[in-house]
Amino acid sequence: MADAETADVAAIQGLFGNVDFDSARLQRYEVDGQVPRAAIRASTIGDVERAQSVATSRDLAVVPMGGRTMLGLGMPPSRYDVALDLFGMNQVVDYEPDDFTITAQAGMTLASLQQELAANGQFLPLDHPRFEQATLGGICAVGRGGLRRNALGGPRDWLIGMRMVKADGTTIKGGGKVVKNVSGYDLPKLFAGSLGTLGVIAEVTFKLRPQPVSDQVVALPADSFEQALAASRAAARAAPFLDGCLALSEQAAARAAGHGAEILEDRPALVLRASGLESAANEVLATALDAAGLEGLQEPPRRTTAIVESWQAITDCELDTRADHVRLRLGLPPGRLERARLLISELLPRVSSWIAAGDSGLLFLETPSADADSVRALRDGLGPLQGRLSIESAPVELKRNADVWGPVGPGGRLMHRVKEQFDPEGTLSPGRYVDGI
Amino acid sequence: MVRELIDAIGEQAVVWHDEDLLVYEYDGTIDRGNPDVIALPASTEDVVNLIKIANRYDAPVTPRGAGTGLSGGALAVKGGVIIGMNRMRAILDIDVENKTALVQPGVVNLDLGAEAERHGLAYAPDPSSQRACTIGGNVAENAGGPHTLAWGTTTNHVLALELVTADGEVQWIGHETRDDPGYDLVGCVVGSEGTVGIVTQALVRLVPRPTAVRTLLAVYDSVRQASNAVSAVVASGIVPAALEMIDKMTIAAVEPVLNTGFPLDAEAVLLVEVDGPDSQVEAEGARVEGILNRFEPREVRSATDPEERETLWAGRKGAIGALGQIMPNYYLLDGVVPRTKLPDVLDGVYEIADRYRLPVANMFHAGDGNLHPCLLFDEREPGATERVLDAGGEIMRLCVDAGGAITGEHGVGLEKRDYLPWIFSEADMEAMKSLRAAFGPTENFNPCKIFPKGHGCGEADHQHAQHQIARFGPKAFV
Repeated sequence: MADAETADVAAIQGLFGNVDFDSARLQRYEVDGQVPRAAIRASTIGDVERAQSVATSRDLAVVPMGGRTMLGLGMPPSRYDVALDLFGMNQVVDYEPDDFTITAQAGMTLASLQQELAANGQFLPLDHPRFEQATLGGICAVGRGGLRRNALGGPRDWLIGMRMVKADGTTIKGGGKVVKNVSGYDLPKLFAGSLGTLGVIAEVTFKLRPQPVSDQVVALPADSFEQALAASRAAARAAPFLDGCLALSEQAAARAAGHGAEILEDRPALVLRASGLESAANEVLATALDAAGLEGLQEPPRRTTAIVESWQAITDCELDTRADHVRLRLGLPPGRLERARLLISELLPRVSSWIAAGDSGLLFLETPSADADSVRALRDGLGPLQGRLSIESAPVELKRNADVWGPVGPGGRLMHRVKEQFDPEGTLSPGRYVDGI
Repeated sequence: MVRELIDAIGEQAVVWHDEDLLVYEYDGTIDRGNPDVIALPASTEDVVNLIKIANRYDAPVTPRGAGTGLSGGALAVKGGVIIGMNRMRAILDIDVENKTALVQPGVVNLDLGAEAERHGLAYAPDPSSQRACTIGGNVAENAGGPHTLAWGTTTNHVLALELVTADGEVQWIGHETRDDPGYDLVGCVVGSEGTVGIVTQALVRLVPRPTAVRTLLAVYDSVRQASNAVSAVVASGIVPAALEMIDKMTIAAVEPVLNTGFPLDAEAVLLVEVDGPDSQVEAEGARVEGILNRFEPREVRSATDPEERETLWAGRKGAIGALGQIMPNYYLLDGVVPRTKLPDVLDGVYEIADRYRLPVANMFHAGDGNLHPCLLFDEREPGATERVLDAGGEIMRLCVDAGGAITGEHGVGLEKRDYLPWIFSEADMEAMKSLRAAFGPTENFNPCKIFPKGHGCGEADHQHAQHQIARFGPKAFV
């Protein structure tokens, strides 16, 4: 080991008891084939502060992480020395159910949070794959809405406060613990979706919702994904108060069934979700089912009482990819979904799995045949539809050549300036984000 | 500079005679500013040119919409140029299929709502000043309104913005698609109170128009009873579209003017609105009515007819205007507290107002914990304004001590900038300032707002700070 590296190790070791230098165990912190030299497992905000302060002063590149469910998202880091593991910071900090707000440490999993809330008839309205492992900090750092984003929005819409540790080890906060607040700039929104490039999210405060009296999920088998997608658009138009409105291809449905969605089988399907008082949920569903019927989905709907499990099983498919396949995510205005499907079918002949949210214009697809040229061609074609295509999972080579995020547009100049302000040394998750940030 | 401004956008669009400047000295607060010149651009290009001219003369720039702001955000504290956006008032596009609207910043909130309605849609944020206030101002302040309980505030409804930054550069931030890769710059600009740039176009989300709406009004003999009813509604699993309370003093002001039928001797009136599909409104309405009845109301009324609903709402949305009945001036506060603290904080508000011998009217978003105590006074009475400001400071302090914040929807602006250190540390504020710095050289861009210390505002700051410390003690600061 070189002298400088020995000194880095000594500096980190001097500060923490729970630092891992064991190369076998460090494998689990691998990001795009790169393994860090050390992993620091933080238990308190103080740990995060010390880790950042020593790392930045020694110019070590840090990748903060939680449940590591989406560590593969983003460009390969340009440098990666230290994994900062927040999974152990998993406590509720403050919860007053009648205020409908909760503050928790970043390493708490979404599933534990929901469990805590369910005891009081409340929930945090966010969908996220593998929620028993995904952490609140990670979900915020990824910062995007799930398959129900039309009805629920994303983390940014429920976050009301945040405590974060800057690159230099200083803790700052933004927002507060009240549901409505315009005091000062909205730093939580800046950090939500910043993928660990501006600071380390250490603590988050969310506003909450009461659990609906009735929550229903039904599936309608379809002849093809194309038909299911058209039905999802028709349902979303006819019943704008739907909670969820998904079209699944045969393979996606089969996978979700494998994860435990008992309403699905090896057939393309339309999946609808509605909630509220029972009569209201029924009315919304009935309207949506009528609209789907007009698109040819005539078979009786399949119902389940395992609402949360079934939906989570579908959501989990967001992270399923065969090892040799490429998974892509497309966001676009929902009215252009069908045109996008046509275009994709033309340019990527072998799409093996499709999942689309017909009400919000979100599309996940998987293919064995994408290369950098086809990704570029897709982006060119989808541009006029205002579609944004990102690579969710792919071999490192393709991620580099095709750019995971795609061109970021004119706002990129401002984004670089923001990065320079918050992480002037460029040590936080360097290179993983848009436009080389 | 005035000559250059006139050359850039025409004589008709530049206001610089003293008597004409008068109307631009005010907004909805007590404070005043003295602009040197007002420029009224008609296009994004005009805005760029105006900013560049102002920058060349080192003149402060203050953006302004309808001037209905309630925190002094649109006041030209250091003089210079006010850029008024009122001429840019076109609704450029309504996309029904994708539920979005592309608008210029001078579009009045209610006009956008009316246009959306023609397409079976709605624009959710509905500040009480919606007849006058503009989308640009709403974006700057992250405006709320009674219906944000269910739908969120402006920040939840803006997808993309065309922004002219302080250095005169134009760029689009955000995207038609939600969760667009890249930092959430839209989330940073919404609520930045016009301190990082001027919004010249906004792409906003529209929401489905509910097929049914029902408004319930319940009259109570005590504020406590009404507060308990609010808690019970919120705990029931229903998220009403709106949940508002008005107190006795407010009733006394609105009843003679608006004939809303509120009993003058009632202590509190609750307004609850549920909306959505027909069956939901029917079921939720019945349930809410049952809950309201559990807390011994004097009466519960209900309206589904638009005209009747309008009458019930008139007493809430017209409340501020009606207060002129009681006293010529008012000071409207905007504290926000965890909802469970509302009853205690309200008691505190009445106690403080009493101690300062000021009538106080309360009308507020009870469901959100967002209070709007309105202190009534007559500025011609010597010392009255100072007394009101001191009482306002104490009420703000009360909200902060209850775990709340200094503003829920009106903004920090000029008015509350000295209170910012009550909730944010030096490091927090430094981080916010570094975000501002990313938008370019902003020292002269809406100066002296939000932050307690600003370039060239030191003199005023020092006096302000000394005054604060004298009132609240040095420990009041984080």
